[in-house]
Amino acid sequence: MKLAYYPGCVAQESGKELDLATRWVCRALGIELVDFPNFSCCGSGFIDEANSILNVAMNARNLAIAERAGLELLTVCSTCQGMLTLANRRLEEPAVKAKVDSALTQIGVQYRGTTPVRHLLQVLTETVGAEAIRKRVRRPLTGLKVGAFYGCHLLRPAAEMRSESAEDPHSFEDLISALGATPVMYRGRVMCCGFPILFVKEATANRIAGHQIEDAKAHGAHAMATPCPLCHISLDSFQNQAAKSVGQELDMPIFHLPQLVGLALGATPEELGLPRHLVSTDSALQRIGQVAVPT
Amino acid sequence: MEAEFVKAPIEVYRYDPGTDRAPRYDRFELELAPHTPVLTALLKIRSDLDPSLTMRYSCRSSICGSCAMVINSKSRLACQTPVGPELERHGRIVIDPMRNMPVLRDLVVEMGGFWGNYRKLEPHLVENPDRPLPEGKTSSMSPEEVDRFKETPRCIACGACYSACPAVEHDAEFPGPMSLAKLYRFVVDPRDGAHRERLLKIQTGGLWLCMRCHLCTEACPKDVRPSERIRDLKEMAIRLQGATEHGSKHAIGFKDNIREKGVLNEFKLVRQTYNSLEMLAQVPQGLKIRRKKPELTQTPKAIEGLAEVEKLYQILDDEPGDSP
Amino acid sequence: MHRHDVVVVGAGLAGQRAALAAVEAGRDVAIVSKLHPLRSHSGAAQGGINAAVGAEDSVDTHIYDTVKGSDYLGDQDAIEFFCREAGPTVVEMEHFGTIFSRGSDGNLARRPFGGQGFPRTIYAADRTGLALLQALYERLGTESFTLYEEWDLTRIVVQDRRVQGIVAFDRRHGDFAGIAAKSVVVATGPAGRIYGRTTNAHSCTGDGIAAAYHAGAQLKDMEFVQFHPTALLESGILITEGARGEGGILKNVGGERFMSRYAPHVLDLASRDVVSRAIWTEVKEGRGFPGGYVHLELMHLGRERIESRLQEICDFCRNFAGVDPVTEPIPIMPGQHYMMGGIGTNIRGETNIAGLFAAGEAACVSIHGANRLGGNSLLETLVFGKQAGNAAAAYSDRAAPTDISEEVVEGESRAVHAMTDRKEGEEPQHLRTEMQATMDELVGIYRQPQELLEAQRRIGALKLRFASVRVVDRSSVYNINLTDALETGHMIDLAEVIVAGAIARTESRGAHARVDFPKRDDANWMKHTLARFTPDGPELSYAPVAFTRWEPKERVY
Repeated sequence: MKLAYYPGCVAQESGKELDLATRWVCRALGIELVDFPNFSCCGSGFIDEANSILNVAMNARNLAIAERAGLELLTVCSTCQGMLTLANRRLEEPAVKAKVDSALTQIGVQYRGTTPVRHLLQVLTETVGAEAIRKRVRRPLTGLKVGAFYGCHLLRPAAEMRSESAEDPHSFEDLISALGATPVMYRGRVMCCGFPILFVKEATANRIAGHQIEDAKAHGAHAMATPCPLCHISLDSFQNQAAKSVGQELDMPIFHLPQLVGLALGATPEELGLPRHLVSTDSALQRIGQVAVPT
Repeated sequence: MEAEFVKAPIEVYRYDPGTDRAPRYDRFELELAPHTPVLTALLKIRSDLDPSLTMRYSCRSSICGSCAMVINSKSRLACQTPVGPELERHGRIVIDPMRNMPVLRDLVVEMGGFWGNYRKLEPHLVENPDRPLPEGKTSSMSPEEVDRFKETPRCIACGACYSACPAVEHDAEFPGPMSLAKLYRFVVDPRDGAHRERLLKIQTGGLWLCMRCHLCTEACPKDVRPSERIRDLKEMAIRLQGATEHGSKHAIGFKDNIREKGVLNEFKLVRQTYNSLEMLAQVPQGLKIRRKKPELTQTPKAIEGLAEVEKLYQILDDEPGDSP
Repeated sequence: MHRHDVVVVGAGLAGQRAALAAVEAGRDVAIVSKLHPLRSHSGAAQGGINAAVGAEDSVDTHIYDTVKGSDYLGDQDAIEFFCREAGPTVVEMEHFGTIFSRGSDGNLARRPFGGQGFPRTIYAADRTGLALLQALYERLGTESFTLYEEWDLTRIVVQDRRVQGIVAFDRRHGDFAGIAAKSVVVATGPAGRIYGRTTNAHSCTGDGIAAAYHAGAQLKDMEFVQFHPTALLESGILITEGARGEGGILKNVGGERFMSRYAPHVLDLASRDVVSRAIWTEVKEGRGFPGGYVHLELMHLGRERIESRLQEICDFCRNFAGVDPVTEPIPIMPGQHYMMGGIGTNIRGETNIAGLFAAGEAACVSIHGANRLGGNSLLETLVFGKQAGNAAAAYSDRAAPTDISEEVVEGESRAVHAMTDRKEGEEPQHLRTEMQATMDELVGIYRQPQELLEAQRRIGALKLRFASVRVVDRSSVYNINLTDALETGHMIDLAEVIVAGAIARTESRGAHARVDFPKRDDANWMKHTLARFTPDGPELSYAPVAFTRWEPKERVY
């Protein structure tokens, strides 16, 4: 399988560990990633708010790059997945298409709308398949209870995303089970992490993140995993603030999706960039025998 | 038209603050045809098993908005939710009162806050001096103007979006999706003369607290798609006023940021949103993150083909015209 | 005790319009409603609102169509006034902000409706009631008035043939209160839930009509009950006449467009009573689908037209019948839809009791006579809501202060609590179900003398049983079981009036079709039925119909 790899901004910058883990897992599973140094940012929902047509045009350009190469687009971020898919949908409206086309023509780009956008979670569960992954597991994550945290834009708006049930998704839990871990079901798994308003009203954003982590913890999660690096910022990089806002210690290791897969497939914590997390993942690693229990 | 009956275990939240110490769930077993609406099931419970089960309902045809409740953890109308798919997916039907509103009794919630947030936005037509209502005649509206209402006239104010919204849950300043969808309806109404004032007021009135999680859009039984109308309001507010506070500064800052390298300059974005004092407050957390993630303060490399992105900005942002 | 100049009971279109008129007249106004105003059943009206504003149309034609539609039982002076007010009313509502459907020229769109010579029904997709309700609520919200939200009316207090106010209780705490008022406007809508198979909301239980009846108001023409031809099978949810206005057609099991035999000229768009009887006859004579229903077909209109003009209908069919009207026929049967009768009023909304006014479906002016035309009811709520509000305001301006004594309030509270204190007795919902079955079975589209007498016997027995009704729920907080009981009591009283009027009227006119008297009998029955409450049951009398320009003719469509 060969895919146009769209890492998104964060995975190339402060969330570099996501990129490391993605490449490791794809290598292990025989998925060939093709890099395109000319991909731009997806707009992250912010450009959409400031100038929606510009946002669609930027993503039409991204989609056209993969289209020219005849490849499906692979994302590793719920928000990138959402923005690129939304662009595909909005370009089904003739008025939007006309406007965007006229701008694209001026930069010599043609958008035909034939590029499916797929998130790594979807590729792993739909194309590779949870069962196939189960067979590749070298170090089952037995005993680890993991709360999946989907990230809004992977699922919603459902009419545009057209993937699994936005209300009761299960692909991530299926994958977690395939890795040998135990999925934890909790309300927060399909909720918002607060990231979009981290810069608008940090206290509220932190409270929301804290609330979701608390929820996972109350349902027995030892760790959480997310397919979205922006959720990872809220849940990991700002977990200390989130903990303060809900008035309790959280100590919740937060894995990027491919990190969890990588661990089960045999990668070392270093290969997956786990030491880069703000909240130590050691407590989770101990449960699966990856690091010695400190005496 | 004949349907087989299925066993339907239904668990209903019960709480009478006057007499009960704590809420409980009562379990009822019914035999129902799969297409039976949850409302019909609840009415059956009321008539055959427990007449004290308390709820709001009226039209049973998803137009009065009375019977919004949480069914298997999703906010929706009981009259519009058939039991079959719920049973298939969950094996049972768990019914709770709407969230984000205090419970009066069982499934009845106090909606005063919800209506208050709506009224606060002054939801009524204000005459437009530039386009006065014709004396003794109805006004005219072009098909394009009519289209701009989108699906907002369908709103039945049931509260499902309000119940589903995490911003409502966590921040009292947020007026809620329904109020904002209503506000949108006035902002695009050519007969209304207060578009400007409405947008100016909402910029600092909680508009930017929407996290675009789209849970409201999923909850809405009438396909009003509030999250998209909130997005539209944000863009209109920015076009009218530019960057005024954190939300719009951040959106505009983000847009300008990407123009420079094609990808995000994370550190710079912080500076584009916060003033120097606010920056200072971010320093300790920033340092903590940078210790693990040094890229945070590094300037990223520009993408190849940045000139193409620049050109798109020139065409669509410097001279934007009307957004379709 | 609370005190206001004008108390409006009911917050649908008629109630809100009355309140707005009274507020604009400078009066201290309160609205008492068991539902939040936006939850009112007015919002469920789908098809549209009539106004002869088209170039080819005329107010006179609208008047004529309404007179003919009423089977000549409508008061022609009232109808003339009503139709003349249509244009200004629509303009006013448009200026309040109603989002109507429009044509490509930017003007309000119009669709054809049953029994009318021109397309004069102005609409907002298929949610016209909702559009009007929203706009009126928004407009009224700019004024100052008191809203008693989710209060249940138990009594209209009348002393010496003059209104004193009402007694009601706050559902949230169960506390009874007297609300003194110089004028009381009843705008509580219909009592459609007297029937089981009805398009009406669960809340349409005739509370205000029953309270007015007990207070001494005369009820008019109650035997005239409209059955809408197209109610969704099973749920009884309304499928708007607009569906046929847009070109929908009715077919029987043989695929025959059977309306060509009943109304060869206007086919599916004949008057509602005519179409309902036709469907009933088809099914009765074995030409219905198994289970007893016919089809309404829209498929030939095409997806785009169906989904844009009949958006709610699409949702209803898909959600409540599992049928997609774009690709499949809709299974329908007639269902109770509208009460032509109600509290007797004149053109100003005045009743036979000083200070008591009524408007909307709770009232009977009468403009609908024996059968209402589609698109006239929304118009009625606004035209006569405003009339009643103005009259109530004017009356309160000259009336002496009123009072409700503590004893009266306590008496009401005791009477109601007797139901919750009872250890044994039948539960209200069971009595309600029996009443509905009785009315469905015996007082439907076609009426037979023996069946009506049987209905009278059963309703009489229910009335006796209701005297010892027991409310199981004893909570003081939001006790809707208590509301069930009150509503059931109201409906049993009104059912009794409907049946009495139907037994007495030995003719067929409009919606009242007597099998034993299949013809209209103008010599003996060109008159309104009036019913007055007595402890022994309704006392009937009759009043003349007002004529201006239109002589009775046979009604052919």
